[in-house]
Amino acid sequence: MKCKKVQRYLPLVVGSDISKSKISEVKAHVEKCPECRHEYDSYVLSLGKTKEWLAKEREDWEDREWQQVVKIAIGDKEPELSPLAPWPFRKVWAYVMMAVFAVVFTFFVIRPGFYKEGVIPGTRMVAESQAKLFESFKDKPEQDIISMTMVSKDTGLKIVWFFNKNFDLEDKK
Amino acid sequence: MWMKNDDELVEKILRGDDVSFEILLRPYRQGILNMAYRMTENLEEAKEICQDALIKIYKYLYKFKKGKSFKNWIYKITVNSTYDFLRKKKKYEEIVESQKSLVTGINHDPEKQLLNKEIKDKIKACLQNLGPKEKTVFILRDGEGFSIKETSEILGCSSVSVRTNLLRARQKIKTQFEKIYPVEVRGVKK
Repeated sequence: MKCKKVQRYLPLVVGSDISKSKISEVKAHVEKCPECRHEYDSYVLSLGKTKEWLAKEREDWEDREWQQVVKIAIGDKEPELSPLAPWPFRKVWAYVMMAVFAVVFTFFVIRPGFYKEGVIPGTRMVAESQAKLFESFKDKPEQDIISMTMVSKDTGLKIVWFFNKNFDLEDKK
Repeated sequence: MWMKNDDELVEKILRGDDVSFEILLRPYRQGILNMAYRMTENLEEAKEICQDALIKIYKYLYKFKKGKSFKNWIYKITVNSTYDFLRKKKKYEEIVESQKSLVTGINHDPEKQLLNKEIKDKIKACLQNLGPKEKTVFILRDGEGFSIKETSEILGCSSVSVRTNLLRARQKIKTQFEKIYPVEVRGVKK
């Protein structure tokens, strides 16, 4: 391996971040070449000192401050749930299941007791209300003539048209 | 084992046990804070980023896939929150700078710059020379001890990209280091 290639690998060799075979190849060269040895030592020193400094100068939270940060993060809300989350974790699923159950229960368990035999479910109430409506119309006289009135805003003139039940004009005043 | 515990805690939280949220995050609280701190070099800003990350973690907990590393997942969220924060900050600073230059014109204060340079920590200065991606990779790999594979998972990029950024970061740090500590570096045996 040539010096140029070795020096390109050196930053990764000092942290053992390339393959073992390459590391041993580079190290073998470094042992023989004073220039590369100097470069290698420089990397070892700079990386070692920086790592040492990073480890020594570590900051930490004050406990109270940390608790406060966590409390703010949680807030009043619950964590969001995936739309595909399994039923016990997803309230919507639970509500939908309850609604389906309620509908099924009403139609197949409670409802059969309400209508008489031979009547189609759901039609009985409609038929009864329609019959009542026809009864109320029965007593009223049939309407033969319809009138339509127009009043002028400016002059106050009033015109009245009379139509028969076929909507033919009968009279005009 | 820790992974199994994390999965169990996530399940508990999703069932409504909020106390487990703090228990779940406790082992990583220092790590995510330092990750954000190294990226911003400002503790208050780092805490702000962590707050944002924690809100996202809680909100999107259902998206966490069982059996995967929870540690990697929360670091991923923290890194993304940090990037968002830095983008907003950069935008804000650009606006402030443009407003300043409109009022007073471009003003360089060499005395102040020199003073700042003296105050700056030497190794901090090394890190400041790195690009955002290089810095993130370096902090994750050399600061937090993640492997190349884990780092690539967190950043959502290939191992090759991680290695390239790591290589550049270490090269830059070494170059800066030689400037800061010329005697020590020259003094190593040849």
